[in-house]
Amino acid sequence: MQSLPMLQNALIVGAILFSLGLVGILARRNLIVMFLAAEMMLQGISVSLVAWSRYHGDWGGQILVIFVLTVAACEAAIALVFVLGAFSRTGRLDAAAWQSLREATLGRVIDRELPASDTLPQKFPTLTPAGVLPETDEDELLQREHV
Amino acid sequence: MLAAIDPFSPGVLLATGVTATAASLWLLLPRGQSGRRERTARWVGALLGLAALSAFVATGRRLGGLGEEAVFLIVSLVAVVSAAATVVTRSPVYAAIWFALSLAGVAGVLLVLGAQFLGVATIVVYAGAILVMFLFVLMLAQPSGLAPYDRVSNEPLLAAVAGAVLLGLLSLSIGRLSAGDDPATADPAPAVAVDALQADHVARLGGELFGRHLVAIEAAGVLLLIALVGSIAIVARTEEARVQERRAG
Repeated sequence: MQSLPMLQNALIVGAILFSLGLVGILARRNLIVMFLAAEMMLQGISVSLVAWSRYHGDWGGQILVIFVLTVAACEAAIALVFVLGAFSRTGRLDAAAWQSLREATLGRVIDRELPASDTLPQKFPTLTPAGVLPETDEDELLQREHV
Repeated sequence: MLAAIDPFSPGVLLATGVTATAASLWLLLPRGQSGRRERTARWVGALLGLAALSAFVATGRRLGGLGEEAVFLIVSLVAVVSAAATVVTRSPVYAAIWFALSLAGVAGVLLVLGAQFLGVATIVVYAGAILVMFLFVLMLAQPSGLAPYDRVSNEPLLAAVAGAVLLGLLSLSIGRLSAGDDPATADPAPAVAVDALQADHVARLGGELFGRHLVAIEAAGVLLLIALVGSIAIVARTEEARVQERRAG
């Protein structure tokens, strides 16, 4: 397993993860999904680093991945605070809500009217009621402090 | 001269894979279409994605060693397919859940590569902590139903082509790696050094971490502390500003 083909296969998996993350961060507009895509790029890098570490029999790659994990945790904490702040200002998780910050030479993103989506509202399973309904006193229910 | 082109040569496989990747990502990304066209596009995109995957698997088989590593093949397929689903799913909650599955696949890949501690740490730190934090924020902030900005993408065609071209270039250079003549791949060390099956794997990783990299560990700890304090400070300041705004207005 300590071979060049194994290294190449693992590197290709890392490259695929990295590219998919790049597509996600370029294309999606939801801030949270963009962050998920950024984390996915970090995952691709981790896979590549561990593959190199395996190939050379050296701990360096694995140590680097530990620091990648640390920085990812910090990044997620700070980024989510900013996302929450942005959400409380605009009421949307939309990256285009902040397009007034764009370069002066860039055009404005204009949303066109979307066709109605015909996806049905989600249905959740319900349990059939079993047993007898317990007797309740309506007055007592109204006076209860905690329900 | 057309007959001289071998349809299964690595170059043709790679070109097919890259083209199919770009087309499938473009079809799968949300483009704000009506339901029926979107469903058709999704099916075609998924089929093209399968074609791209099989092209890449065939490239790997050509590189050799993929056949006997069935476990590696399975976990990396899980990781890659759910990563693609993360990127193209409309609902961000489902995207987060697909990302968790992708993390499970990545952890499997790390285990196969002989990094047992990192595989477990990926599950614990990412899927256990970071992803749950993402889901908290989503549940706080997500309106019910699909938001319009979840149904469209920024430049889906350009993004898909950019990703596919990057992937093609990376795989091209990975495929050109050869043992010996390149300093990066010369001298594959004996397997004993980082073998996950060793009983003291984690102990040796810890020894390396707290021996050679002690200062870096301290710096990482300080970084974590600063991130914690900083995020609380930012939240507190925005809350304060909001309260003052409300008083003034």
